[in-house]
Amino acid sequence: MTSWPSWPRPGKRVCEMSGLINLINKLSDLALPPLGQDIMAYLAFAVYVALIVGGGLTAVLARNLVRAMVGLVITFLGVAGMYLLLASPFLAFMQLLIYVGAISILILFAILLVKNTSSGEEAYRPGLPQAGLALVAAAGVAAIFGPVIALNEDLAAPPELPVETPLAELGQDLLNFYVVPFELISIVLLVAMAGGVLLAWDKRYRGKE
Amino acid sequence: MDINLWSVIKLLVALGAIIALLIANSVVMVWLERKVAGFVQRRPGPYAVGPQGMLQTIADTVKLLSKQIVIPGSSDRFLFLLGPVLCMFPMFIMFLAIPYGPWLTGLEINLGLLLILAFSGLESLAVLVGGWGSNNKYSLIGAARTVSQSVAYEIPLLLAILALAFMTGTLNLTVITEAQTGWFWHWNIFRQPLAFLIFIITCFGETNRAPFDLPEGESELTGGYHTEYSGMGFALFFMAEYTSMMLVSFLAAVLFLGGSSGPIGNGVWWTFLKMGAFMTFMMWVRWTFPRVRFDQLLNINWKWLMPLGLLNLWLTAMAIKVF
Repeated sequence: MTSWPSWPRPGKRVCEMSGLINLINKLSDLALPPLGQDIMAYLAFAVYVALIVGGGLTAVLARNLVRAMVGLVITFLGVAGMYLLLASPFLAFMQLLIYVGAISILILFAILLVKNTSSGEEAYRPGLPQAGLALVAAAGVAAIFGPVIALNEDLAAPPELPVETPLAELGQDLLNFYVVPFELISIVLLVAMAGGVLLAWDKRYRGKE
Repeated sequence: MDINLWSVIKLLVALGAIIALLIANSVVMVWLERKVAGFVQRRPGPYAVGPQGMLQTIADTVKLLSKQIVIPGSSDRFLFLLGPVLCMFPMFIMFLAIPYGPWLTGLEINLGLLLILAFSGLESLAVLVGGWGSNNKYSLIGAARTVSQSVAYEIPLLLAILALAFMTGTLNLTVITEAQTGWFWHWNIFRQPLAFLIFIITCFGETNRAPFDLPEGESELTGGYHTEYSGMGFALFFMAEYTSMMLVSFLAAVLFLGGSSGPIGNGVWWTFLKMGAFMTFMMWVRWTFPRVRFDQLLNINWKWLMPLGLLNLWLTAMAIKVF
């Protein structure tokens, strides 16, 4: 950013303004050296990882459902930050708009109907068998995805600087080459909705008997 | 984006200016709201402190600052304190993306509109967290109302704004404003009157303002989600309400009313003038119409605004295809 395209229109005070523009151009040249930018990127990465892991642990370990939900929201925020680091602000904002703004609020709405005092089933500390099963489940995921990540040669290469994709290109790709996966996702939503209706239907039918 | 000194300085200056703007806005607008209420109800409104009662809000601010913060014993302490902070915090980011003039923007970004919509979701989350953390029936009912209201009203709002994005082919607020320069019939309010109507109505729903102020509902919920808050906690919620009013007013000015272009002498002042006019309009509506019932509120949304928004989107797409 060395020039300033639409700085105030030339007029009487153009002479005074030109000094200011020179100053701005000089300041623009004072960019952070690449090493400093790398350090800042790593710092941001560390912050987002902390948000994701901390939020995830809160979501799993909190004995209060609403607090667990707040932990999940923090995880979503961290994931949005990761998208920003990958130079895809569109995905980051969509993550905020859909996951933080809509889905988490809908889940909270369901939780609101639960009693405030943490006296429900989730209030008791899980026993040893449950904790063991949870560990097995976590280890299962790690066993499936760990080798895939470790053996993938693309990931072993030094990472390139991510490039921001223009929004128009993204939309065209989604509706041309990726149109089938794109539509399949909506089928998942349709199945979930049908399942919800089915559950509610069953309850209503039994209630009438 | 390269990180250079100028962009950092610009961002910091913008943040400072925005904080000052938000505080000044709350002080002035609370006074104006009381004056408008007084005018509508044929009484003087505040008049004792300062000329025309102008210093009344400052006196109130001092009172709120010096009040003790009471945390109810049975509340969830962490969530109770998180609510008001979370309510105010995203506002600063949203105001960065608004183009006050052709070159006066805190953060030049291609997805400005999306940024504002994304962060506005955090506000209802904050209300929900605060209302639930209070551990109070009224607060809980107020919070639950906020959820169903804001989730419902977000859809027509998005549909109305999507029509504008269709027309200009961008989510960059500066470009959307620039497309409206010229005489006032270039403004989007004349090109998209239906979208503007939907936008106005959803604005009241999204900012929890009367006639859609059911989450607060003084006469039935004693204040709704902020029943238990005193001192600065209440002040932050109150500030957030006026700030979100200013945000939607700026959005109305930028998206529909031509932004900084005006009949005489284009400039930043036009954006602010339009913002002020829209806020005064919101106050006028608040003190004119009674509160709607909750089923009415949701009926307006799902049975009228949603189909109208879809129709408007379809008409816009057809018009773009044909012309």
